[in-house]
Amino acid sequence: MTPLATRLRAVLLFYRGVAPFTLGISALIVLAVLVPALREGRARGLLPMLLLLKLATGPAVWYLAEQLRPQQYWFYYNLGVSRGRLWAGVAVLDGLLFLGTAAAATALAA
Amino acid sequence: MSRGPAFRAAGPHVLEADGIRVAFGGRPVLTDIYLRVQTGQVVGLLGRNGSGKSTLLQAVFGARCVADASVRVNGRRAVPAFRTPGLLNYLPQAPLLPPGVSLRQAARLLRVDWAQATASFPELRAQLEARPGELSGGTARLLHMLLLLHADTAFSLFDEPFTGIMPVHLETLGAEMQRARQRKGLLLTDHRHAEVLPLCDVVYLLHQGRLLKLGANPGPELRDHGYLAA
Repeated sequence: MTPLATRLRAVLLFYRGVAPFTLGISALIVLAVLVPALREGRARGLLPMLLLLKLATGPAVWYLAEQLRPQQYWFYYNLGVSRGRLWAGVAVLDGLLFLGTAAAATALAA
Repeated sequence: MSRGPAFRAAGPHVLEADGIRVAFGGRPVLTDIYLRVQTGQVVGLLGRNGSGKSTLLQAVFGARCVADASVRVNGRRAVPAFRTPGLLNYLPQAPLLPPGVSLRQAARLLRVDWAQATASFPELRAQLEARPGELSGGTARLLHMLLLLHADTAFSLFDEPFTGIMPVHLETLGAEMQRARQRKGLLLTDHRHAEVLPLCDVVYLLHQGRLLKLGANPGPELRDHGYLAA
């Protein structure tokens, strides 16, 4: 496994650990904002607002993870991956997953 | 994992740290630090509770950001050290593995040959699929220690590595560490001085923020500084 592959794998493992928080928030946003908008036929152009909403919940996820699992970083440090890179990876993966799901749902409903 | 430019030169590697100053609530914990570890050495770091041993190890590892800290390998700056591939690893006092990560996954990512790592502990080989929480504290500690000891890094830093490990395993682990130092430098801190001191080539005592390098027979100095009972 190359260093890059190791680091990518580390980010995926870390994402798996925080996914219950991030996916839970995504589900809440979809249920509370996207689904009603789709029902009322006003979902067009909603994606930027959904993304902003998702980004706004980022600090809450980070805070929860820091409070509940403050010691979770040691293994990743030993793989050469910093806390900042782990969270940057989570932001990218989770953002793409959320946007993809929201875009697919909007397209299907159109 | 490939190693960075600092590791291409032949010969032993030297890890040095200084300029580490840390204060908690206005109380200086680390003030006058110079630490040196080289390939082939086991270096012991002793000190009373709260003297800053863990803080120092974390600062050297790079997980704790300390302004003006200088960590060098073969004279080249390496801050934060953990970002340099193949340079060093660190066993914290807390559990090493996050929830949901099995020993098999950890060994694969750390590029550790599990059979080789557990060769001296055949009864532990079957624990490969175990996840954090499924092992006793002492067994988990031993397995995490073996993972880092056998990982291909130039240095390993161990914070309280012997905690919870039963005596029969401690002896074998000591022998493993002696073998490991043929290819890396080890820095460890643990209050079990009876186990630590025979392993060490160099012993430092962290006392009132200063790092004192002790002589070949550290017992009297440890008593003089109040670490051991007089």
